[in-house]
Amino acid sequence: MTNERPRLRRALAAIAATAAIAVTLAACGSSGSDPTNGSGGAAGEPVAGGTLVFGRTAAVNDLNLHTQIAANNAFAIDKIFEPLVSFDESGEIIPWLADYAESDDELTYTFTLRNGLMFSDGNPVTADDVVFSLETHQAVADSPLPLTAPIESIEAASETEVVITLDEPYTPFLSELSNFSNGVLPADFGGKSEAEFFENPIGTGPFVLNEWDKAGDISFTKNENYWQEGKPYLDALEYRYIADDTQLRQQLAAGQLDAIDIVPAANAAEIEADSSLRLSQTEGWSAEQVFFNTERAEFADVKVRRAIAMALDREGITQATTFGTAETASALLPPSIQYSAADDDIALPYDVAAAQAELAGSDFPDGFEFSLMVPSGNTQRAQIAQAIQEQLSEIGITVNIEQLEIATFRERFFAYDFDAMINNGQSDAPDPNGFITFQADPEGFSQSYWTHYTNDTVTALMEAGRVTPNGDERAEIYLDIQKQLAQDAPYIPLFYPANLKATTSNVAGFTVLPNGSVRFADTWRVDASA
Amino acid sequence: MNRLLRAISRLLVVVAGVVVAVFFLLRIVPGDPARMILGERATPEAVEQLRDQLGLNESLSQQFAAFVARLFTHGDTGISLVTGESSRGLILERAPISLGLVGVSLLFALSIAIPLALLAARRHNRLPDHIIRVLTNIGVGMPIVWSGVLLIALFAVQLGWLPAGGIGKGPGEPFRSLVLPGIAVAIGLAPVLIRSLRAQLIEVQTAEWVTTLRAAGVAEWRITWRHVLRGAALPTLTLLGVSTAYLVGGTFVVERVFALNGMGTLLFDSISTRDFPVVQGITLLSALAVVLITAVADLLGATLDPRIRRSQPRAVS
Repeated sequence: MTNERPRLRRALAAIAATAAIAVTLAACGSSGSDPTNGSGGAAGEPVAGGTLVFGRTAAVNDLNLHTQIAANNAFAIDKIFEPLVSFDESGEIIPWLADYAESDDELTYTFTLRNGLMFSDGNPVTADDVVFSLETHQAVADSPLPLTAPIESIEAASETEVVITLDEPYTPFLSELSNFSNGVLPADFGGKSEAEFFENPIGTGPFVLNEWDKAGDISFTKNENYWQEGKPYLDALEYRYIADDTQLRQQLAAGQLDAIDIVPAANAAEIEADSSLRLSQTEGWSAEQVFFNTERAEFADVKVRRAIAMALDREGITQATTFGTAETASALLPPSIQYSAADDDIALPYDVAAAQAELAGSDFPDGFEFSLMVPSGNTQRAQIAQAIQEQLSEIGITVNIEQLEIATFRERFFAYDFDAMINNGQSDAPDPNGFITFQADPEGFSQSYWTHYTNDTVTALMEAGRVTPNGDERAEIYLDIQKQLAQDAPYIPLFYPANLKATTSNVAGFTVLPNGSVRFADTWRVDASA
Repeated sequence: MNRLLRAISRLLVVVAGVVVAVFFLLRIVPGDPARMILGERATPEAVEQLRDQLGLNESLSQQFAAFVARLFTHGDTGISLVTGESSRGLILERAPISLGLVGVSLLFALSIAIPLALLAARRHNRLPDHIIRVLTNIGVGMPIVWSGVLLIALFAVQLGWLPAGGIGKGPGEPFRSLVLPGIAVAIGLAPVLIRSLRAQLIEVQTAEWVTTLRAAGVAEWRITWRHVLRGAALPTLTLLGVSTAYLVGGTFVVERVFALNGMGTLLFDSISTRDFPVVQGITLLSALAVVLITAVADLLGATLDPRIRRSQPRAVS
């Protein structure tokens, strides 16, 4: 039996080692990367043909347009399904599958489908398909990109005409309708079960699903029946799953990838300096922010929040952590969102003396200590946190940085178990209502982005914004909301990150939308042999 | 026979321990799979509904019972929460890449270790030995991730000889794709093997029976290949068995660095999305592999070496 002891120890060591690997991996976690995007391609006449290999840091695991919102799935879904209206690179709403007309009372919208519009399987798209698609979406109780408009009815007026009637005016309606979640699919899922259908979906989009590994790569072929003449130029599109963004750049440089979905701001310059690569830098729909849990005594005090806002050098933080790729935020809404007040100079100014005075007038004149939660594996956010820590020490506030693996990070803020955190607010559509609702509606499930912030004036303005027609009056409403939010500072917008992507010099027409999706229908390979 | 039975029962205890430990550890760590699947902007109702659907709202003991039942009836650790596919299928699909990498790494490690160990032993305490000692120290100290990045920068990006990552398609491509990752693992593993083999070689080549062989006029190459190397190989084989855990861990990390879509990458992803069944499947499989190989190395050692067979094993490493 004497030789059993070391064996047993070895056995226990094996258990411990395996468990330790699992736990350590959980602790180092994923480099939380939400896809963002980038720029147009070179000039020249489009050439048809070829395959484009696109590297991304997350796999596609679900193609159900009604239940998915995260970028990994969203930007595959929107290659297959398309809504009646869409938006362009600058966020303008444009007719897509249909032309539309709005009645003078803003209650009735008539959509006329394009002539000869077909699904990728060659079947014609009819008004019935549209009605089925939108009604099916409405019936999904917890759609993450819902049709919240007060819709009274969706009816097929003819083979190619759909009439949508609202109970009351709802200005963000078309913007909401431009979400891919309102994409058109065949009525009754083309006779299949819903689950079967989304394993092999049929839509009107430029690409058709080819091969799909739900924890790996996905590939598409060209939709031969696509409604835009001559597009897509590419014969095939492959999304290669590569978890690590360093690998993305290395494979791009080595010519194994044609384009990559994400370039960290720190590496933008190095891509730009490489003559064989092209950096794509475009405006996005998001704002990087510090969020306060206003249920904590310190942050319930508006003076404390204002003091912090004035103690932060947002300009400096932006420069240092985004390497000049982002624009410093001066209002909540990014400039690419309608009615952004980014140019109106409404933010509290960076002024340490004023910050000290504000704090002196608060319930915590001698400062305090709090914990700032950031997801681990995100270098940029770690650097922001350090800058905040340093700058707040100037006014006597001690910041403890708490880095948490992304799953833990999420669990904590959903449970309102945090003092303050760095996170990102974003929009899926060009209308300001979605962004503002998510960040300022105390009744919404996100409780003003988990800050518990409530301001009756803001709530009333927000409701007015939904029914006021576009124009000066609506502009005034969103300006007032952004001013009030800047004064109350339940969160401090730091900067508007750019969509940063890259391609090789063989890729042209690389069109990036403000939500971070690439419009691959417009993309071609300059080396494709015509 | 007795030894074999004991080996098997030990193996079962270890594997059962791993299964139980991983099952409960995963569920103690904070993080909600439903939330990870649906994203930050999903409503609590949607998350709750998905939790119901995935069976995450049942009690831990119920979940564990269902897990064990499925393990025995289907040989599977469950349906992946993220992809909705069987975890066994997902893992087996990726096993060839990981096994290929282990194989290539071992091949490289041995082809580096054996000649260098021989050289070091022959030139014991002379310049080659010193140089090799320095090299092994560097190799051991170099983090696998770092050597991986250096190899990519040099051979893939600068020289363009080999792929920077991923598995290429076409004849011979998969092997070419495994060369750099294999070298990265071998750089970490070879030094351990060199040290052990060198020490054993020195011990054997100065043994009396070797001197006797020399005196009898047996050719030096014959002594080296037929006698010395064979005598020193056994402890190294055992050491190799013990290094399996390192090899598995190392290849998992290297998969990530080289974007190889094998079991290691799947494990990383599954942990970050809290895809419990897949994590359980991979840990179970790796534990089985490590324990089995270690046991085989032990048994082999015992069979080949009369000293171990007869009494207690000598410490070999």
